[in-house]
Amino acid sequence: MNETVSLHDFFALFGSSIAASAVAAALCGYLGFFVVSRRIAFVSAALGQISGLGVALGFWAGTFFGVDPHQHMPVWLDPVVMALILTGLVSAAMSSVNRIQRTTSESAVAFAYLTAGALALLVLASPRVVNEAHEVNDLLFGNTVAVRSEHLVELIGVALLVLVSHVFLYKDLLFVSFDREMAKTLKLPVTLLDLILLVSVGISVAVATRAVGALPVFGFLVLPAGAALLVVESVPGVIALSMVGALLAAGAGFYWSFIASLPTGPMMVMCCALFWPLAGAVRLVSKRRA
Amino acid sequence: MVKMSELIRLDNAEIGYRAPLLAPLTLAVRQGERLAVLGPNGGGKSTLLKSLIGLIPLLSGALSYPAGPPPRVGYVPQAYRADTVFPLTAAQVVLQGRAARVGLGRFYGARDRALALEALAQVGLGDKGKSQFRALSGGQRQRVLLARAFVGEPELLVLDEFTSDLDPAASNQLLREVSRLARDAQVSVIFVTHEVAAAAEHASYVAMVDSRRGVFEAGDTDAMLTSERLSRLYGQDMHIERRGDRTVVFVETGA
Repeated sequence: MNETVSLHDFFALFGSSIAASAVAAALCGYLGFFVVSRRIAFVSAALGQISGLGVALGFWAGTFFGVDPHQHMPVWLDPVVMALILTGLVSAAMSSVNRIQRTTSESAVAFAYLTAGALALLVLASPRVVNEAHEVNDLLFGNTVAVRSEHLVELIGVALLVLVSHVFLYKDLLFVSFDREMAKTLKLPVTLLDLILLVSVGISVAVATRAVGALPVFGFLVLPAGAALLVVESVPGVIALSMVGALLAAGAGFYWSFIASLPTGPMMVMCCALFWPLAGAVRLVSKRRA
Repeated sequence: MVKMSELIRLDNAEIGYRAPLLAPLTLAVRQGERLAVLGPNGGGKSTLLKSLIGLIPLLSGALSYPAGPPPRVGYVPQAYRADTVFPLTAAQVVLQGRAARVGLGRFYGARDRALALEALAQVGLGDKGKSQFRALSGGQRQRVLLARAFVGEPELLVLDEFTSDLDPAASNQLLREVSRLARDAQVSVIFVTHEVAAAAEHASYVAMVDSRRGVFEAGDTDAMLTSERLSRLYGQDMHIERRGDRTVVFVETGA
């Protein structure tokens, strides 16, 4: 049946999904450098869960006002806006996670991850939103079949906001990530820069999750950048390779999921995962040559 | 009495994170002075250092800058703590020392890059600008971090046990270079160290800190570095001898 679909029809059907996947991949591929190098991979996973909780809460809150989540709704009840606000707030709170001394910061991240995940499931178990359960399920595990144009616009807007602001703050974000103590002695606004970075990750995760699902977003954030760090010896090189890798994984994952009639999100993640053995092999060969 | 040449001054300051580590203390760092901070492990040396440069707020008392605005600080961290995940070249690490001079949200310029390469050359690593920072030896990394501290044109250089990972010869050589660079640039220096001989050779003023015994004393190097004071500070018999321009320290190891 797939063979009967022309390229034109394919893009007509999935154009916005492909575009959303590409934007999400490029954005997460860029942020992935900071996520991996600052060792906050699981913070981004927790933010994905919180975003899912925000969406679930949005659907749930809408039922009290008789709002159909698939129709036009007031901004303050939009599940994506709810997810953005919740994720932004939790990102800001997480910028203080490294100040925790009596327990580990990992356990605080796990607290956020588990609580958000459990709450999202409990909200979805409510009879008020049972009809939307499949949609939130797609959100959490990723099944990019039809992205609505407004979600694509939101994603592009956030991507532009994050990437443009980071062009100007790149030097400072890199410094704070590399040597926080020295940055503090030079009176750089370390806490503000941490906040900007985490909120960047938070809002990107929120809109990208809404468009392509939590699983591929986490994959784009962590896997390409981690593999790129194995083989590239410059920060711009790592960022470029991570973005290209995430884009390739998004494209290949989308294509193969269509061909094999498999879920899109997991296919994208598997394509991202392939970079690791590839990077390991490249590293091994270059070490032997050296 | 406040002297006009004082860069930083603590008055009746209680230092610590939640509870005060010591009784209220008064200490000043003067322009051109080289202050060594000595004390046993966990005795509060780094806390004193961070309180002096404003990284930790005082619990009470006052931190002031009698000579003008807060001095620009060049900081070299304890041993090697910079992250090896980041694929940065030595020159890129040094360039970070210009970040505050360049300003938030602005880009490094050609002059900043030239100054970074010049600073690398000054610490004897002129040919290592393009080398990966993480691939350098421990001593070379410390030199890079020293160059980064100097490239920001500091008025105060702060060294937190920065030679503790180096062998004695490399440590001594690096401290001599720091003294030379600081003298040439007329920079004040605070250095935390376990090496009493290094303090004797390079410091003009010494502060002794041990929060567990409630010890805080400060004074001119010759007055402070006596066998009696050192023995009391470290809780072990120590002897200090001056042989010409060198200082030798013996630690009693018992029978």
